[in-house]
Amino acid sequence: MSPEIFFQIIVNGLFTGGIYSLVAVGLTLIYGVMIIVNFAHGEFLMLGIYIAFLAWTLLGMDPYIVIPLAFVMVFGLGALIQRGLVQRVLDAHPLNQIILLVGVSTLLIGLVQFFFSAEPKAIHVPYETAVISAFGLRFAIARLVAFFASMLISLLLYLFLHYTRTGKAVRAVSQSRDAARLMGINVNFIYYLTFGIGAAVTAVAGVLLAPNHSMIPTMGQAYAVTAFVIVVLGTMGNFIGAFIGGLIIGVVEAIAGFYLGGDVKIIASMMIFILILLFRPAGLFGRNRS
Amino acid sequence: MALLEVNRISKRFGGLVAVNDLNLKLDKGNILGLIGPNGAGKTTAFNMISGFYKPDEGEVLFDGQRINGLRPDQICRLGIARTFQVVKPFPQLSVRDNVMVGAYNRTNKRSEARQKALEIIEFLGMQDLSETTAGSLSVAYRKRLEVAKALATNPKIILLDEAMAGLRPTETDEMIELVRQVSKQGIALLLVEHVMRVIMSLAEQIVVIHHGEKIAEGEPKQIVRDKAVIDAYLGEVEIDVKG
Amino acid sequence: MTVENSGNNHNGKFRSWLSGLLLDWDRTQMLICFFLVVLLAIAPFFISSTYYLGIIILATIYAFIGISWNIVAGFTGQLLIAHIIFLAVGAYTTIVLFNNFMISPWVGILIGGVIAALCGAIVAFITLRYGLKVDYFALFTIALMVALRTLFLKWDYVGGAVGMWFRLTNPSFDKMIFENKAPYLYIAIGLVVIGLIIQYRIYRSKMGKYFLAIREDDDAASALGVNTSQYKMIAVVIGAAMAGIGGGFYVMYVTFIEPPQVFNLGLNVEIVMAGPIIGGLGSLAGPVVGALLNKPFAEIMRGALTEGRSGSSLIVYGSFLILTIMFMPRGVTGVLHTIYRKIISQYQRKAQGDS
Repeated sequence: MSPEIFFQIIVNGLFTGGIYSLVAVGLTLIYGVMIIVNFAHGEFLMLGIYIAFLAWTLLGMDPYIVIPLAFVMVFGLGALIQRGLVQRVLDAHPLNQIILLVGVSTLLIGLVQFFFSAEPKAIHVPYETAVISAFGLRFAIARLVAFFASMLISLLLYLFLHYTRTGKAVRAVSQSRDAARLMGINVNFIYYLTFGIGAAVTAVAGVLLAPNHSMIPTMGQAYAVTAFVIVVLGTMGNFIGAFIGGLIIGVVEAIAGFYLGGDVKIIASMMIFILILLFRPAGLFGRNRS
Repeated sequence: MALLEVNRISKRFGGLVAVNDLNLKLDKGNILGLIGPNGAGKTTAFNMISGFYKPDEGEVLFDGQRINGLRPDQICRLGIARTFQVVKPFPQLSVRDNVMVGAYNRTNKRSEARQKALEIIEFLGMQDLSETTAGSLSVAYRKRLEVAKALATNPKIILLDEAMAGLRPTETDEMIELVRQVSKQGIALLLVEHVMRVIMSLAEQIVVIHHGEKIAEGEPKQIVRDKAVIDAYLGEVEIDVKG
Repeated sequence: MTVENSGNNHNGKFRSWLSGLLLDWDRTQMLICFFLVVLLAIAPFFISSTYYLGIIILATIYAFIGISWNIVAGFTGQLLIAHIIFLAVGAYTTIVLFNNFMISPWVGILIGGVIAALCGAIVAFITLRYGLKVDYFALFTIALMVALRTLFLKWDYVGGAVGMWFRLTNPSFDKMIFENKAPYLYIAIGLVVIGLIIQYRIYRSKMGKYFLAIREDDDAASALGVNTSQYKMIAVVIGAAMAGIGGGFYVMYVTFIEPPQVFNLGLNVEIVMAGPIIGGLGSLAGPVVGALLNKPFAEIMRGALTEGRSGSSLIVYGSFLILTIMFMPRGVTGVLHTIYRKIISQYQRKAQGDS
């Protein structure tokens, strides 16, 4: 394999990985704060891309403009789901939590399928095939933008969590719910916020996919499974772990895709997942939070 | 040879030494008390004897047989039962079903297990509650249920982990009497307790643990006068040995 | 309860038999299932539309699969989410054995059950050996399903992405090909009856009590002599075997299989999860009650109200799941149980008042 091809694969993998990172960061945030695995997470990504589709079909809007809109809409939906449903089962048997979220996931897929049908859809933007050549490599403009956008959003989220008062409150709750409460933090509010943010950034990832990606109502599930793998790899609840894990998995999949063929690349993630579960379930970054 | 011999067991968690070089002996029909301040390592010792932890060092011998390293269910089948400090009922099952799970330790037949369970339930004075869901029981009855389940497994030894904690004085008296009755059946008992009245009235021998190590051993009368024990744990308090 | 002594001894015996039945909630549940099965059995005499009959057949198959999941998730509390992989394995085994080796489906289904049971043993072994807890176990089974879907898409021997069509020949009993729909219904009913009996026998046995104990509190069960790992595996193997058998029959009925169809979380919700959850996870009547409520209702929603638009059954199942967890966590059977207890205690009070 020539160096150009090698670097091309790495770059493509990083581009995909950027999206993965964003999705994984959202998932790990929710887990870190509420100790709940969001089995409906993939559906927020799917909603994001369909919002982009809707905006493009109805208003001719370019997906990148839709990002703030999608963020706000899905944030609201996520917060609502948390407040109305998830909140009630936070202390219940995990089976109940999982079933509830599977129900939410099924409902969301059903609604999208009902309104948009199960046929694959796609948007078309003028720059969808535009490519930049540099350093002997080719970068698809849309994917390049998606990569930088996802990096930026991850960075903003990180800054939010570490340098704003609310963000620090979120981290406090993730470390100790009771201690946070004793310090006057409104834990329930943090829960709504966190679920909303987690869902919203995932939806943005979906929007970023729109220019080059066809969409079907069940597309979120494959991304969700990959996100689970990444979150476990990077240690559940660990922001940096999820971020780096996303990039790693993106590159691994790209390499696997090159050697094994594109549609089988998910096997690579599965293998990694199984290996982690068997040999280092606490993930790369140490002990699991209980 | 003692029924239960705990020889020089130790357990570390990361940098923390929970139990260090502990020795215990329990003979058939005896009642041995294990006391010490919170965090002294009593429950850790229980967990090692009952198979929930593996000792890092040392061994546990039951009837001459090495049992450290065995699973909890294997140890139960051999004849050591335990209760949990924070009681663990099967919340959605009835009292009778709870106890039947224990009774099935010695039989495969439903009728036998049921019979045994009802006998034990009656022994503990819970006949009227046998159809009640365990989750809806009061604390006192949950504690009794905990003992009932252990008893149903037909053990030679029962490890009672703070079976009296959280009980009112009258309830405690009743439990003390129940424990005496259990002992009369020939079952050896290893008691962890904080309620001094209970230990003093039940235990024939006491072992005092502090920071995971044994600091004193002897009869109750001697223990309350032992300087090391008083410094570490009891304080200068008048204890009525007769309970 | 008062027993009438005047003359009729049979009457007294019958009444005490009936009270023995009805004073035991387990037996009452079985009675409910018995009535439902009878209703199913006489349905073809009242329903001639093949469309409605088809729905009933599917609902009955779902009931059987639901029982298999109930034993794993309901009795032992293990979060085996992607149970449908066992159905898929059984289905593929059956159809391959028939298409490629002309092995009668009656045998093929059983072999499918065995293969599925083996898969169950492997899954359980990995989970238990490596101590995969709750969430991780759920994720593991989902990941497995996705991996299997990809594998089967590439595996040309079993049809790959194109799938496999059942090699339809002339209707014959030993090939399990029938012109009419009714025979399929009766086979499905037969499976449900066998499933109910197995479920009941397990529930009343030592193994069943151990299963429930594991669900309620794993450590406490251990301390009482229950080898929890062994029993968890047994439950998964039994559930997988039954799902494999159900899957074998399912594919004989729908006559077609392809990976995105069976390795599919939506179908998993519809076939495996919705019935037991809405009916009452962990109860005896739950899977049957749930499946017989769900499927027809979802079809009505799909057909009548939304003119058959896709996605509507998903909306129904999703909503049902949500509503059940929020308002009726013990399912329909749980509600029936509460009513039952009220009736019984009123009856007993009245009986005491009389005597």
